[in-house]
This record gives sequence, C-alpha cells and structure tokens, in this order.
Amino acid sequence: MYLFTGKIVSNRQLTRDIRYLRITAPAEFCRQAAPGRFVMLGCDDGLFDPLLKRPFGIMNRGDDWFEVLIKEVGRGTLQLGELAEGSCVSGHGPLGNGYPEVDSELRSKDSSPLILVAGGMGIASIASCLLFNNRRPLNPDCKTILLYGAARLDELLLLDEIEKNSADLRIETITDDGSSGRRGWVTELLENELRQHPASLTFACGPEPMLKNVQQVLCKFKTRGYLSLENRMACGFGVCLGCVQKMAATGDNGAGESAKVCTQGPVFPADKVVF
Amino acid sequence: MVDLQVEIVPGLVLKNPVMTASGTFGYGREYTPYLDIAKLGAIITKGLSLKPKTGNPGTRITETACGMLNAIGLENIGIERFLSDELPQLKQLGADVIVNIFGNNQDDYAAIAARLDQVAGIKALEINISCPNVKAGGIQFGTDPQAAANLVAAVRRVTTLPLITKLSPNVSDITKVAEAVADAGSDVLSLINTLVGLAVDIDSRRPLLGNITGGLSGPAIKPVALRLVHQVVKAVDIPVIGIGGIASARDALEFLLVGARAVEIGTANFINPQIGLEIVTGISDYLEQHEYEKVTDFIGSLQV
Ligand SMILES: Cc1cc2nc3c(=O)[nH]c(=O)nc-3n(C[C@H](O)[C@H](O)[C@H](O)COP(=O)(O)OP(=O)(O)OC[C@H]3O[C@@H](n4cnc5c(N)ncnc54)[C@H](O)[C@@H]3O)c2cc1C
Ligand SMILES: Cc1cc2nc3c(=O)[nH]c(=O)nc-3n(C[C@H](O)[C@H](O)[C@H](O)COP(=O)(O)O)c2cc1C
Ligand code: FES
Repeated sequence: MYLFTGKIVSNRQLTRDIRYLRITAPAEFCRQAAPGRFVMLGCDDGLFDPLLKRPFGIMNRGDDWFEVLIKEVGRGTLQLGELAEGSCVSGHGPLGNGYPEVDSELRSKDSSPLILVAGGMGIASIASCLLFNNRRPLNPDCKTILLYGAARLDELLLLDEIEKNSADLRIETITDDGSSGRRGWVTELLENELRQHPASLTFACGPEPMLKNVQQVLCKFKTRGYLSLENRMACGFGVCLGCVQKMAATGDNGAGESAKVCTQGPVFPADKVVF
Repeated sequence: MVDLQVEIVPGLVLKNPVMTASGTFGYGREYTPYLDIAKLGAIITKGLSLKPKTGNPGTRITETACGMLNAIGLENIGIERFLSDELPQLKQLGADVIVNIFGNNQDDYAAIAARLDQVAGIKALEINISCPNVKAGGIQFGTDPQAAANLVAAVRRVTTLPLITKLSPNVSDITKVAEAVADAGSDVLSLINTLVGLAVDIDSRRPLLGNITGGLSGPAIKPVALRLVHQVVKAVDIPVIGIGGIASARDALEFLLVGARAVEIGTANFINPQIGLEIVTGISDYLEQHEYEKVTDFIGSLQV
C-alpha cells in the first residue's frame, strides 16, 4: 500500500449529495487496486479538522488514476466532495482484501451466474467488479446479474457507465419509493434469482440492514456469497481496532471471534459475519 | 549531527526521544510497510493482559473537532501470544520494545510483570492505570493515589525492568497520583492517557459510541496534556514522558521544552503512519538550525 498525494482530475455532481471523483495516483497504487479494495482519503491541509482520513471503495482505475463515489453525510465527506479540479488529496491504499477471484470460485459451477447485489452507495464497491478492466468479461461461461436497489430513481447511479463497460450483464433495479418502476428491497430481487439459479455466487455491498437480509436469503437457499462491510474506521490498516466485527466461531471453544474489517475484510464469506 | 540520545533512567536509554503510544501502533509489525521501526526511540505495544481480551461492542470510534473518541475496550491478544507470535519478529526487526500492561486487579498486573521480567528483548514496562473504557482494570487505580501506589509497589516487587506508570488526566489533582506512584517505586511517569468524553446524536437521540463514553485523543487535547506534563515535571523528581495530541515535530518539541524527557505519538499515527520518523527528523533539523549539540540541552529549557 502507498501513501500519496493525488490531484482531483474531475469532480462530477451526480445528485444533490453524491459526487463522482477521479483522482491521480501512483501507477503502483493503480496496479494493486482490485475489486472491493478501498482507499483512505483526506484533505491533509494541516488543520486537523476533519482529523482522520475516510474510507471509500475504489470503483474504477486506470494507469495513473482511480475513481470514487462520495455521498456527503458529514464533515469529512462534505469537505472531500467540495474539492475542485486540481486540488490535492492525501491518499492511503489500496487497503483491504477485495472480492475473491470469480473464475476460481465459479469454475465448478458451470453456468450458474454471478449475482452482484448493491444497495445505495454499495454500488461503488460492487461496480468495481464490473468496471475494472481485468475482470471483463467476468467469466465467459457465466452470466453476471446486477441487482441494484436505492432510495429513489435519481439515486440509481451510473447505470449507463456500468452497462457500457460490462460484457454479458443483466441489470435489475428497485427503489424504496417505486420511482424506478419496481418498489421494494433489493433482497426480493435476490430471492427471485436464487429460486432460478440456486448454485449462484453472490457478492453484496450496502447498508448493514440490507447485508443482514442478504445473509438470511443466502442462508435460506444454502448458497455461497460474500458481504462487503463498511464499519467505522480510524486507521484503515489494522492498528486501532475501531472497525472490529464479530465473526462466527471457527475454533471448537464455541467463543465468537472477531475480525478487523480493514485488513481481514472488508469482504467476508457471508456465513462468517455475526450481525 | 545533533545528538538525539536520551537517558530516561540508567536502564532505559533511547536513541531518540520519539516513541509510539500504546493502542495506536498495534504490535509494531503493522507499521513495517511504512517505516523502519528500529529507528524510533521505542515502540510501545497495545495494552496486554494475562489472557486475550475482546473489546467493547457497538461503534468504537467517532471523530470530534480536531480529535477522536475511542472506546475500544483494551482488546488484545494476551501476553502469551504476544511473546510467541510478535516479540520474536520485533527483535529481528531491531525495534526497542516497551510493553504496556493492564489487569483486572493487582494480582493480574503483578503476574504479567513477573512473566515479562526475564524475557529478553523488552526494554521497559508501561503500567496502564488510566484506561477510561473498561470497568475493571485501569482507571480505578489511576484516580486513587493509594490504590495506584499499592499497585505500583506490587509490580515493583516482581520486576527489575524499568517501570513507567501511565497516568490518567481524569483526576482533580494529578500531582497526588504522580507523587504516590513515584514514592512506590515507579522509575518514570508517562502522561496523559485519554480524557473521558461523550458524543451524542440529536437526531437519533443516542450516544454515538456503543460504550456511551469514550477517551478523547488527538490535537484537541494537546494544551491540556502540556499543562499536566508541566505540572507533574515540577512536582516529582523522576523523569516524565509527554503524550497527547502530538502531530508534528514542533508539538513534540513543546513537550520537551516544558520538561518531558521523551514523547509518545498516538492518534497522529493513524493519519500518517510515517509520522514517527518525520518527527524524529523534524526535531533534529530544528535543533541543528538553532545550534543545539544535543537534545538534552533543549529539554526543560522553558523560561517562565
Ligand atoms: C470499506 C469502506 C468503504 C466505503 N466506501 C464508500 C464509498 O465508496 N462511498 C461513500 O460515499 N462512502 C463509503 N463508505 C462510507 C464513508 O467512509 C463514510 O460515509 C464516511 O467516513 C463518513 O465521514 P463523514 O465525516 O462525512 O461523516 P461523519 O461526520 O463521520 O458521520 C456522519 C454520518 O455518517 C455515518 N457514517 C460515518 N462513518 C460511516 C461508515 N463507515 N459507514 C456508514 N456510515 C457512516 C455516521 O453514522 C453519521 O450518521 C465506506 C466505508 C468503508 C468502511
Ligand atoms: C484507539 C486508541 C487506543 C488506545 N489504547 C490504549 C491502550 O491499550 N493502552 C494505553 O495505555 N493507552 C491507550 N490509548 C491512549 C494513547 O496511548 C494515548 O495516551 C492517547 O491517545 C493520547 O495521545 P494522542 O493524543 O497522541 O493520541 C489509546 C488511544 C487510542 C486513540
Ligand atoms: S480501522 Fe483501525 S483497525 Fe481497522
């Protein structure tokens, strides 16, 4: 991982409070970025307010840049979201483990699809599976399905971009208020798909209540999946223990274990996470 | 070249006065991608207990103005795993290691200290009597001068290692605890641990931390820490190590100026994992520019 100063190449406002930033980074950072890994970003103006860097999924990357989606929810994200083209940000990453290799995970399952489930800002992490060049097409033998839920139609982000950059992808959307045509939760879409393809592999990222539901659905269909968590982080590299998540016991002492989301995650096998 | 070496006490000589604070540096190894940890004055481990310990449930950290509140709850791998899995690598990396310890009661503290006494590769013990985030262990010793003195005496009896006692700022008169533990045999004092704080959310009408309260650290606490170090340096004859909000070489020099023999960097490590060595270089550059031959000439040179 690298500590670097990046420059804002572009900052597009997608909705009232969601920004899409392209930032320069060292080539080595871009090479080590992989779907599901994240970066800590801060302004580092020497004023210590906000103090800590904030974690964001690396949604896409090129040879010397990467992209993040930032929803402005507090002081840290507001400050980053307001950065003009040409301003500097300090970065630390790529951090975390990322999603497992799709090829090896699906090889034995012949034509079962890969199902990507995104809720709200979870699209940033999920879209990285599609937008990273080395993952296209994800698997020649398997279809990829993107199930994407958001609060409202205007919060279903970057659908064109995702469609354009993905081979052999089917997209299903749903919103809390029905403004995209279908009303409800993205986990309902997941149930529909699993009913037809029970041997699928699922990757999911979104708010905790959604991930809990995804976990239950996967358990009901006894099928494999991975969840990407977004616990609060102070350091992002395993030294503060602020991000720890309870995990199912693996040993035989019956005691629950815990994992650092920043270094052992953020992506975990769905059946291991204890919410 | 400015001479940065400091002798804290005869058994504890540091190559420079910059250490990393317990709980902000993991077990040390996590920082090897960022800096050569052997070049730091010393690294201080996460607080270790006899048995492994899980921390507090719920949200453990939240940011506040120029600082952060944490309620980790002293989660750690336990002393035995530290000795088998971590210490050998730290020795190999050439790091100078100080082990931070805590327990539920006096016997626990003494047992860990006794266990570490004959272990090669440990420079000193830092006794945490000041963690605000756990019910037992820590703070109840740190706020009562007599309890603190009894604890230090019990640890003193079972170890020949230099003893650093880490003091809590959450008391009405820190000099009482400082004097009590100095009399009980502590070789060195370090201060401050975090200040107890609270953050709430008016929308959900709930505390932001699972533990309700947490320990405040970072630049926000520096003036309080500096005042307490100044006060304790004047009250006791034993060396003092300054901690609290240090994020630059100038911050570190402020603590040295008021009389701290060395400093520990905490929260700033999260923002810039290389900060420790940047501060070492910054101190050296400053002293060189101002024509000091050795850092010890600068220490305690505050004029009031
Ligand atoms: C691995 C990881 C990847 C992430 N990826 C993205 C991403 O791609 N795009 C994006 O917009 N956000 C992402 N987040 C969440 C983002 O880091 C937080 O929204 C941000 O840290 C909030 O900072 P703030 O100072 O603006 O808010 P604060 O002032 O700290 O908090 C404001 C509000 O945001 C909530 N909040 C704070 N931290 C988090 C968090 N970690 N997760 C969820 N809610 C939080 C608080 O509960 C509070 O209500 C990710 C988080 C993690 C851990
Ligand atoms: C996340 C976190 C965990 C900490 N854990 C410990 C600990 O285990 N033992 C201890 O003595 N102090 C612990 N501390 C206190 C620090 O060592 C230090 O005294 C305090 O943070 C003030 O310094 P700072 O402002 O430079 O961070 C912790 C602090 C933080 C922020
Ligand atoms: S964020 Fe610090 S340990 Fe994970």
